[in-house]
Amino acid sequence: MKLGLGKLRDVLKTGSGASPEEEKKKQAEGKDKAEKEEILKIENEEIKPETSEVNKMELKKTGLEPKEGPLSPADRTGVEKTGLIFFPAFDWAISPTHPEREERLLYTRDQIFEEGLMDLPEIAEYKPRLAEYRDIARVHFCVPDVKAQATTPHLIAAGSCLVLGDALMKAEVKNAFALIRPPGHHSMTVAHGNRGFCNINNEAILVEYLRKKYGIRKIAIVDTDVHHGDGTQEIFYNDPDVLFISFHQDGRTLYPGTGFINELGGPKALGRTINIPLPPGTPDEGILYVLDSLVLPILKDFKPELVLNSAGQDNHYTDPLANMRFSAQGYAKLNEKLSPDMAVLEGGYAIQSALPYVNTGIILAMAGLDYSCVREPDFKPGMFVQGAKDRKTLEEIVAAQLENWKNRDRLVEAEVAKHGDFYRRKKQIFYDTDMIQEFQEETIRMCPDCQGYKTIDSHAHRGVDDTRIFGVSIPIYACENCQAEAREEYRKRLIHPEYEYVYLQDKKQDEYRTYNIRTKRETVY
Amino acid sequence: MLIGIDVGGTTTDAVLIRNGEVYSTAKVSTEHGNLLNSLLEALDAISRDVDPEQLERIVFSTTVITNLIAEGKTDRVALVLIPGPGVNPASYTFPDSFYLKGAMDYRGREIDPLDEAEIRKTVRLIQEYGFSRAAIISKFGQRNPSHELRIEEIFREVYPGCKLELGHKVSGKLNFPRRIATAMLASATREHYQEFVEKIRQALEERNIRAPVYIMKADGGTLPVEKSIECPVETIFSGPAASTIGALALTPEGQTSVVVDIGGTTTDLALILSGKPLLASKGAKLGDFLTHVRAFAVRSIAIGGDSVVRVKDSDTDAKLITVGPDRAGPAYCMGGKETTPTDALKFLGLIEVGNPKRASEAIKITASELGKSETETASLIVEKVSRMIADAVNEMFLEWEQEPAYRVWEVLQEKKARPENVFGIGGGAKGLIAEIAKKLGAKPVIPEYAEVGNAIGAAVARPTLTLNLHIDTEQKIYSVAEEGEIVSLNTTNIGNLNKIHLDEAENLATKLMRARARDFGIAEYAGEAEIVDSEVFNVVNGWYTSGRLFDVNMQIPAGLIPEWKRREKA
Repeated sequence: MKLGLGKLRDVLKTGSGASPEEEKKKQAEGKDKAEKEEILKIENEEIKPETSEVNKMELKKTGLEPKEGPLSPADRTGVEKTGLIFFPAFDWAISPTHPEREERLLYTRDQIFEEGLMDLPEIAEYKPRLAEYRDIARVHFCVPDVKAQATTPHLIAAGSCLVLGDALMKAEVKNAFALIRPPGHHSMTVAHGNRGFCNINNEAILVEYLRKKYGIRKIAIVDTDVHHGDGTQEIFYNDPDVLFISFHQDGRTLYPGTGFINELGGPKALGRTINIPLPPGTPDEGILYVLDSLVLPILKDFKPELVLNSAGQDNHYTDPLANMRFSAQGYAKLNEKLSPDMAVLEGGYAIQSALPYVNTGIILAMAGLDYSCVREPDFKPGMFVQGAKDRKTLEEIVAAQLENWKNRDRLVEAEVAKHGDFYRRKKQIFYDTDMIQEFQEETIRMCPDCQGYKTIDSHAHRGVDDTRIFGVSIPIYACENCQAEAREEYRKRLIHPEYEYVYLQDKKQDEYRTYNIRTKRETVY
Repeated sequence: MLIGIDVGGTTTDAVLIRNGEVYSTAKVSTEHGNLLNSLLEALDAISRDVDPEQLERIVFSTTVITNLIAEGKTDRVALVLIPGPGVNPASYTFPDSFYLKGAMDYRGREIDPLDEAEIRKTVRLIQEYGFSRAAIISKFGQRNPSHELRIEEIFREVYPGCKLELGHKVSGKLNFPRRIATAMLASATREHYQEFVEKIRQALEERNIRAPVYIMKADGGTLPVEKSIECPVETIFSGPAASTIGALALTPEGQTSVVVDIGGTTTDLALILSGKPLLASKGAKLGDFLTHVRAFAVRSIAIGGDSVVRVKDSDTDAKLITVGPDRAGPAYCMGGKETTPTDALKFLGLIEVGNPKRASEAIKITASELGKSETETASLIVEKVSRMIADAVNEMFLEWEQEPAYRVWEVLQEKKARPENVFGIGGGAKGLIAEIAKKLGAKPVIPEYAEVGNAIGAAVARPTLTLNLHIDTEQKIYSVAEEGEIVSLNTTNIGNLNKIHLDEAENLATKLMRARARDFGIAEYAGEAEIVDSEVFNVVNGWYTSGRLFDVNMQIPAGLIPEWKRREKA
């Protein structure tokens, strides 16, 4: 594929969402390449060291003085406030009677405002902002483009997480709660549409943003939504630096039908994905047991730099979409014990009977305040008891997962030995909200020096519409060989007519490209 | 002819306006123990040669309530609280609280019933303790006041003499702790305030003045004085509100200005954004208590003309000048003991008042400590003070930009503004405003009559009024937050409750606003009412819409009466 200078300019002009500085820089690059005339236009740039110009620019855009390399997180000892963004998106719904609709957090607003929580000296309320397209592109291959998947409310929900992430890293707050919608934990790397009420993955966007901007590496995500956090799991499945723990109602009885104990992570990240399928009807007692005997010991052992909580509230005993028996007291206690650096709201659709109380409990617990008087109108202590059989099931799961955790390095060694240079797996993904059936082949480079780059060949069927895309993803801590090889993979795909879009996600260089095969236009985020 | 009087901390200012222009001004010093005397002295000074028949309107702003609260001279109030589930009430810091069983939820549905025996016992206890007044506040009482009303009945029966305040009548806004504080303060100040108003009435009668009398509120509006007895706490901070309205009257229409009122100890800042004074997003703080009182966003910083100037060592050996936050009496050039910004201004010839010799002496001492020339030292002091004030102005704008947003459109709305004018009032303003304005890239404005800008504001402010209408079509009721009654929707002429549209809700709000304005004796301003925001939510049970919730917020915003002939008086 050869492009003349004129074509290249066109490509550059389509770079939507780019700031003027970026535009300028791209023009400069364009000139550079124009001088080399007949050389391939869409080519690998020189591999730059981590403190590249791109990196500096990203820092400048976020209003911080450019430094050599990423910033470092400030020390949070002695900081006393809890950061809070309440973004109920009162003017947005998937559809008028969809559970994900305008008034989902209306009664929560009434409760937390009436309680006067925003006035508490322990709470610092922040204003949401829009995430930038490149923040989304750092995680997702959005089909056809970021704009199509991440509408304004999605950008605000994700942006709210970033605002709080910054507040946390600058040590303005000791912890933070993003009480936001729309949710995101079902969104996977490839985003063809809406799955389980989610388009883009707020937590994953936050993780990659913090890693890029503040240079942190090891992060734990504990997903306490009643549904398996399959999107977050998929995004970090091959990343040994991200520990993903999800407990949820057993996938045999609830959407999305995954999250079993044998889903342990990709070959080089085995044991870093931990699923705990809970029997339907599990009450506070069972969930807190799992937390105490499995989640907390593993977190202690993993020593993450940051613990995030995907704080779904649909384990509640009144939730209309699930069958668990968790209470507001249980949620507050869970939060207190887990004490995440940041919690992000996911699901929870008992908008009158649960959310006002659960959110009050979580906010108080995060702020270190007394939540003992928070209860649902119909709640009686002791109304739900764990069955003996279910208790036994939980004990077995806990024992099995502790064993997996203990042996994780050996598991990785054995698994890696089974594969050659590449590890491939095929997947089928169903988008319930948008009725899309997706077929994927994922390939991981089994690199001896880093976690290896990833490519995804994805074919989506949406009624009579078929879309096929190819995406290349370079991890932030990839080795230079992987980076070069991956960029070559991207370049090679640009002339393949079977794809409609080809994506490059170079997290190492913080550069994100989408190439439209039909129009021959490349968008750079 | 219009009269405006502002009873301030040090002076009481008065202004007489005739044919839309300032006719005369007067200034008397405020007598601390007797604000009424000061007020009347100023009134007499300004109206000496005026026929009382010609007076059309008298407006005053006063610190009566602020002083009562600051000096702890309020009455004791028994707080009867029904907190229900949520925050542990043990964490509240309100005095004299009695907690009762019972609970309402966010839609006003009863969660727990009252315990009548417990209430009777508590009322008797309150009587035994010798409280003569009580405030009854229930969480979500504004969504359903029946618990508050039932307790009131029991009080009337068991302890008939007790004066009662009900939470839902004080404010219909969400925020239980603020409602407690507001109800408590209203109850605690009402009697003193009533006496004050009564004395004014008598004094005016003696002077044959029959013009309507209004009082300034913290939101820059005026309220007929007899109506103000219902809501005494709304008159707090009326001084800064009067100054802001004064600035509005003396600057060109529609511009963005910062009002800088530099006093001896503190400097008060207020913002006018595109011609509209900025209201605080939440109610005012009164003493230690956050309240529901609507007020202008006023930021007070501890720096003024009399702040103490000191020389300190910095980390890098260089010596630094610090100003404030304390005041040790008047400026050196006015007979004080310490060097102050006023001395620096006097030394540089930027102000008229003060003894020039003493100013030089003060600066000389500071200059020797600093190891710089006297002129340099004086300039550094002025620079330091202007920098501190300019920084506070910038912070205030930033804070406004960073106010939380709960809707997509609010996030998308780019809030960005910087002042076009820096409007200076108060004693210290003259020498400093130019420097502050330079730092902010704005035009300095010290208008004619700046020294009585507060009194002008009082004279030309128009009434304000708010109305927050909440409609729940599933429960077939509506309520006006400010009035506290829950009314059946069947009493309105809305035909099909299931198909009620937002414009019908807004029509109902407009109708209620008109009635409310009439009730407040300000019917002629009803036409100024505007809808601040309105929203509608579906109530979905299962997968069906079973009703709708509407919220319509209306206001007659702060502004100027039409009699004022506005012009650029700078």
